[in-house]
Amino acid sequence: MTQQQSYNGYQEQEPPLPSAVPQATENTEMVRVEQAVKRFGDLLVLNNVSMTVKRGQVVVIIGPSGSGKTTLLRCINHLEKIDSGYIYVDGQLVGYRLVKGQLVEAREAEIAKMRAQIGFVFQRFNLFAHMTALENIIEAPVHVLGIPRDEAIAQAMELLRKVGLEEKAHVYPHKLSGGQQQRVAIARALAMRPKLMLFDEATSALDPELVGEVLKVMRQLAEEGMTMVVVTHEMGFARDVADHVIFMDHGVIVEEGPPEQIFDDPQNERTRNFLGLIAAD
Amino acid sequence: MFDWDAVWKFIVSPFFLQAAWTTLWLSVVAQLAGVVLGLFLALMRMSRFKWLSFPVQVYVWFFRGSPLLVQVLLLWDGLPKLVPGLLFSQITCILIAFSLNEAAYMSEIIRAGISSVDPGQMEAARALGMRYWLAMRRIILPQAARVIIPPLGNEFNNMLKTTSIASVIGLEELTGTAEILGAPSFSIFELLIVATLYYLLLTTLWDYFQRWIERRLDPEYAAKGGRPGRRPGQKSWAQRVLGFGNPPLESGELIAGGHGGAR
Repeated sequence: MTQQQSYNGYQEQEPPLPSAVPQATENTEMVRVEQAVKRFGDLLVLNNVSMTVKRGQVVVIIGPSGSGKTTLLRCINHLEKIDSGYIYVDGQLVGYRLVKGQLVEAREAEIAKMRAQIGFVFQRFNLFAHMTALENIIEAPVHVLGIPRDEAIAQAMELLRKVGLEEKAHVYPHKLSGGQQQRVAIARALAMRPKLMLFDEATSALDPELVGEVLKVMRQLAEEGMTMVVVTHEMGFARDVADHVIFMDHGVIVEEGPPEQIFDDPQNERTRNFLGLIAAD
Repeated sequence: MFDWDAVWKFIVSPFFLQAAWTTLWLSVVAQLAGVVLGLFLALMRMSRFKWLSFPVQVYVWFFRGSPLLVQVLLLWDGLPKLVPGLLFSQITCILIAFSLNEAAYMSEIIRAGISSVDPGQMEAARALGMRYWLAMRRIILPQAARVIIPPLGNEFNNMLKTTSIASVIGLEELTGTAEILGAPSFSIFELLIVATLYYLLLTTLWDYFQRWIERRLDPEYAAKGGRPGRRPGQKSWAQRVLGFGNPPLESGELIAGGHGGAR
């Protein structure tokens, strides 16, 4: 955590300017979270969290419920606002603009534009209930990006093929299984050609026998080089696919490192306890 | 002695056809204005900003808490006294009063409709880069519609009948026409029967139309093939015009309504 120390030193100065993302790292860093703090009332959900995700990297965040991992993910595309700190995606400040050293919340259009480049997959899928699978996928490309409908449909069919649901194109979500819905949701996010994908416990709401089909799609994406931040309880997936694993508890990053280190040789007591509980499960 | 001949004579007279037309278009315009204004009121009411939501609460409190007849009279008799020289025509006065009144009821109906949509739908829309209005228009309102449309139909049924209040300031819609034409010959009773028949005709036609719309908005209707010659999944006329098709309602439905806006 040398990074954290250097930034602590940084904060002493007045005013606390964020480091404009250094030129040298601009091409390698996709996400940079600096000292993010988030409170829900009195509850400190994120307590000075800093992390980075490199381009093409798969970062998996694990930890007990209530540890702040989902909140952290939601802050990355500004579904939640942080109370202090900075979050950059691809070198751009998320949700805020810097005006004379002060952070000002960005305009709706700017936030929307940012979000359009970040795919988000929800635990509860959140497919648009009044639209077929195909309509779900073409909705944002057509109405946000302005892609011609025919083109969007062709692309959507391609994506449906990719997630193995070509024959479900004209089916409404309530007629699909959870696993199928989640795969459509992933296709819907991919249709925006995001540079970053965020997965919020994408398999937690699924029946056990349906988890595999969703993980398979996520695995495939990782292999294609997609930059991903994945919040999950699937330790097998984390071990196999992650380049970097972060263990969070009580709003702080307790331990992070390559999967072999976190799973086979955890340094922290709390990490060991958590993994022990999972294994005993 | 009840005069059947007067009933037959007037039922096809241009006076009543004209009056029925007045009742119909008054209702349609006031209802449309009520829906549009009600939508904005509903969105304001749901705002997290107190300065937006509180005025709406007061507005709804006033318009739902006092009789429409009194509101009409306030506007017709009262306003010119408050603001000398400001004089609306009867029709303008009625349209304003009815629209403002209806907006109060519609805002509550629309709010309930929007609240019925899973918040995850808005989150998903925002996460895809959709802005508030786009998400409202494309994602939230179409889904809220299946909850809004049945009570909206009841509201319009009410509206058709409530327009009779316009007769108190001398507007010649169905009720007013019956009174005015009936007065000289003491045949008000017969002419009120004629007016009643017209009201029944209008509300019955509306009832059929409403059921037709609700059927068409069910995507299962299209999925099952709907009308012969329609491809599965192809949208019905109503779905295309309104720009969406709704998922089928769960069993034991709201469709029947029971939201009657008795006032």
